[in-house]
Amino acid sequence: MVLPLQEVLLPDRIADLTGLGQFGALGEFVAAFLAAFVIANLMLAMSGVAGPWAKRKITAAFTDRIAVNRIGPFGLLIIPAAAVQLLAKELIIPEGVDRPAYDLAPLVIASSAMLGFAVIPMGSGIHLADPETGLVVVFAIASIASLGLATAGYASNNKYSMLGGLRAVAQNVAYEIPLIVTAASVVIFAGTLQMSEIVAVQAEPLFSVAGVSIPSWYAFVNPFAFVLFMAANLAEVGRNPFDVPEAPTEIVAGYQTEYSSVYFVLIYLGEFLHIFLGGAIVTTLFLGGPAGPVLPGIVWFIIKIWAIFLFTQWARSALPRVRIDQLIEIGWKGMLVLSFANLVLTAIIVGVFIA
Amino acid sequence: MSLERPKRQQYVTEEGVDYDAIERLLGEHVLGRETHLNAEGFVIRPDEVQDVLFALRDEAGFDHLSVVTAQEYADRYESIYHLKKYDDPTQEVSVVVPTSKDDPVSQTAEPVYRTADWHEREAYDLVGIEYEGHPDPRRILLPETWQGHPLALDYDQDRPQIVTLAEHQNPIAEDHYDSDTETMFLNIGPHHPATHGVLHLKTVLDGEQVVDVDPDIGYLHRCEEQMAQNGTYRHQIMPYPDRWDYAPGGLMNEWGYARAAEDLADIDVPEYAQVIRTMGAELCRICSHMLALGTFCLDIYGDFTAIFMYAMRDREKVQNLLEDLTGSRMMFNYLRLGGVAWDLPEPREEFFEKTRDFLDDLPEATQEYHDLITSNEIFQIRTVDTGVLDPETAKQYGATGPVARASGIDYDLRRDDPYGYYPELDWDVVTEDGRDNYARLLVRMREVEQSARIIEQCIDLLEDWPEEDREIQSNVPRTLRPDPDTEIYRAVEAAKGELGIYIRADGTDKPARFKIRSPCFSNLHTLPEMSEGEYVADLVASLGSLDIILGEVDR
Repeated sequence: MVLPLQEVLLPDRIADLTGLGQFGALGEFVAAFLAAFVIANLMLAMSGVAGPWAKRKITAAFTDRIAVNRIGPFGLLIIPAAAVQLLAKELIIPEGVDRPAYDLAPLVIASSAMLGFAVIPMGSGIHLADPETGLVVVFAIASIASLGLATAGYASNNKYSMLGGLRAVAQNVAYEIPLIVTAASVVIFAGTLQMSEIVAVQAEPLFSVAGVSIPSWYAFVNPFAFVLFMAANLAEVGRNPFDVPEAPTEIVAGYQTEYSSVYFVLIYLGEFLHIFLGGAIVTTLFLGGPAGPVLPGIVWFIIKIWAIFLFTQWARSALPRVRIDQLIEIGWKGMLVLSFANLVLTAIIVGVFIA
Repeated sequence: MSLERPKRQQYVTEEGVDYDAIERLLGEHVLGRETHLNAEGFVIRPDEVQDVLFALRDEAGFDHLSVVTAQEYADRYESIYHLKKYDDPTQEVSVVVPTSKDDPVSQTAEPVYRTADWHEREAYDLVGIEYEGHPDPRRILLPETWQGHPLALDYDQDRPQIVTLAEHQNPIAEDHYDSDTETMFLNIGPHHPATHGVLHLKTVLDGEQVVDVDPDIGYLHRCEEQMAQNGTYRHQIMPYPDRWDYAPGGLMNEWGYARAAEDLADIDVPEYAQVIRTMGAELCRICSHMLALGTFCLDIYGDFTAIFMYAMRDREKVQNLLEDLTGSRMMFNYLRLGGVAWDLPEPREEFFEKTRDFLDDLPEATQEYHDLITSNEIFQIRTVDTGVLDPETAKQYGATGPVARASGIDYDLRRDDPYGYYPELDWDVVTEDGRDNYARLLVRMREVEQSARIIEQCIDLLEDWPEEDREIQSNVPRTLRPDPDTEIYRAVEAAKGELGIYIRADGTDKPARFKIRSPCFSNLHTLPEMSEGEYVADLVASLGSLDIILGEVDR
């Protein structure tokens, strides 16, 4: 199968453009660093827009309210205002916290989500790295976040945090398996773990309706897997109905109860980055990555991950939270079984009809 | 077993309770009889409380201990047990237990009525009567370190209560960690998003499951009873009831006081005013139930979700109506002894139209709630069969209102102990047999529909009321001085349940004793029964489904 060659990766392009390529390994390193800087800032900027502004506006739209509208057009200047306010707050470190762990947890949570974007093809040549095992890498990195959550919960020396940390671990273990097994069904279709190729395969037309060619996005090819993945993804990013680890009305925001100021910002940022990373994985696996008509790839990519962000916020406004035992039950007895059924079925279909 | 029991009807005549038969039943336990305006009171010895109450409960069928009133006279202490029947709350009897000044010890009623636990703790806390055999003789409203009993006659009001930080039990500091057990002690509150006010639940968890929960109340105690005792009947007490259940159940609370005081001073209320009161009370009930619905869903959904704001949106409309009617959105102070403060707002047509508009929109809103919450599967698995309160337990704890009705207890004072204009109107008492959190929500949602029916009929009546008959207040003396030593206990059906007021008059223009029976107080007491053995998430949901207002629990 001949695939259209993917664009040059972003570090190489930067190396070419700036002439850093001629400095050998050091030059490549600087170019890669610059590329990572660009992508990280793009993601941070999106989280910055999402956290203080978009989340409020979206929730307000769902709940018949107006939300932030005092500073700047559409209240947009609340973003710098909130940033200054949050960073200017006193960093309160409670007595008896487990010091290095307590400080490391927010960093782990934020950086693990950030790291995942390295292998995501965002279109328009914005793609940091494209290892052959891209899909495995992104899941491996994303699941480091549970380590951060458990650390935060344990190190905080607070019972609510402890409960939240334990819930987070239980939930991530229960939902990461169906998530990955469902992703594996896509791998069976695509025949590769490499992100750029998964995207490329989806560009092929599935069928045509009145001259408009429908691409073979896996959301269309295997809608069942898509739905399953979206549900497991909600649990993975901890949003209703699966926001059990935070559950403000039960365990008072769980693992983040004792974090303030910069640490709180990091955890909060990590959460939003995680939602976007979840959205990026869904986009890459099921929605054809950055593919789309007219607009450049990166714009389509951002539109798609924001659509998935919108979906998580919709669920948050409209769905009740399940109880921890029900959550575990749904995970192990429902999602896991369904995802394996999906995997076996996909394997049979691919093996018998396509091969 | 039940065959051997004498028939309960034997203690009832056509006029009501056959007090002579009860006196024969109690036999030599009875030291004397007092006549209270609501019921006969039997004076008994302090060491025979349980015998008497067991007889009254098991033989005569008085299964509802409304409240325990404690008070101090110049020569004695006195506890009054106000008993009723869930089947017919007009059948009442009071058990008066005097104890001596030097040794105010009385036998506890807790083995007979579970609800006496908290009521007697309050009596000890505020008045200073001790209850022998009480399972948990601690203070309930005041801090453990409080000196003296504020409602006792010799209490020095000016004495500063120096409770040093070291002396004062800091609920956060203590840690009940025990290395032998695998349970965890967890303080839920005093500040916690789900406690709906300042409530402290001392919880013991086994993993995520609740082993034990002990509600610690009193953080919002504002001496409401004492303030009422320092106010004159005519005008100075009426503003306080608004501040008990500020959900707002204001008009229903005011009616609780008005009903007791009007019966005490023998004041008639014109029919026109009764219709306005009925309409206002039901508007308040809708307000209160909307808030209950919104916050209950908040506990289950988490964060500020759509359903909470929708409930607020509809509550807002009712509050606008109440503002038009009373001039205030929360602290109404609208009822007066003998009527209401003023007539409907002018132009009347506009008020009727606004109210009708609200009532017309209500079915659609209710349908929206059903679509959003009650028919949601996740919501159902969260609420059905959690927080189960069976009817016998509910009665033992003196649960009333939607909490009792969701356990299948058909008890509603608006119908069973009629007052206001309710008997003339066409409406139904809502009960559910689910006994769980879901049933409690359903009862409230259906009660909103019934309240709307009542309001609609009131509006029709008010619209056609002849202009010359629009009497809003009867003639009430400027200063009320009810006869000395008259005592009365009267209750109304507030949004949360039976709100009762006990007043003892001493011939002055202020009550000698003013006791509030708060429905939330008794309802909250059922929380451990509902949530022990369940998950902590269900504890939070059950607490939400009880719909407590801490201002009313702590008074």
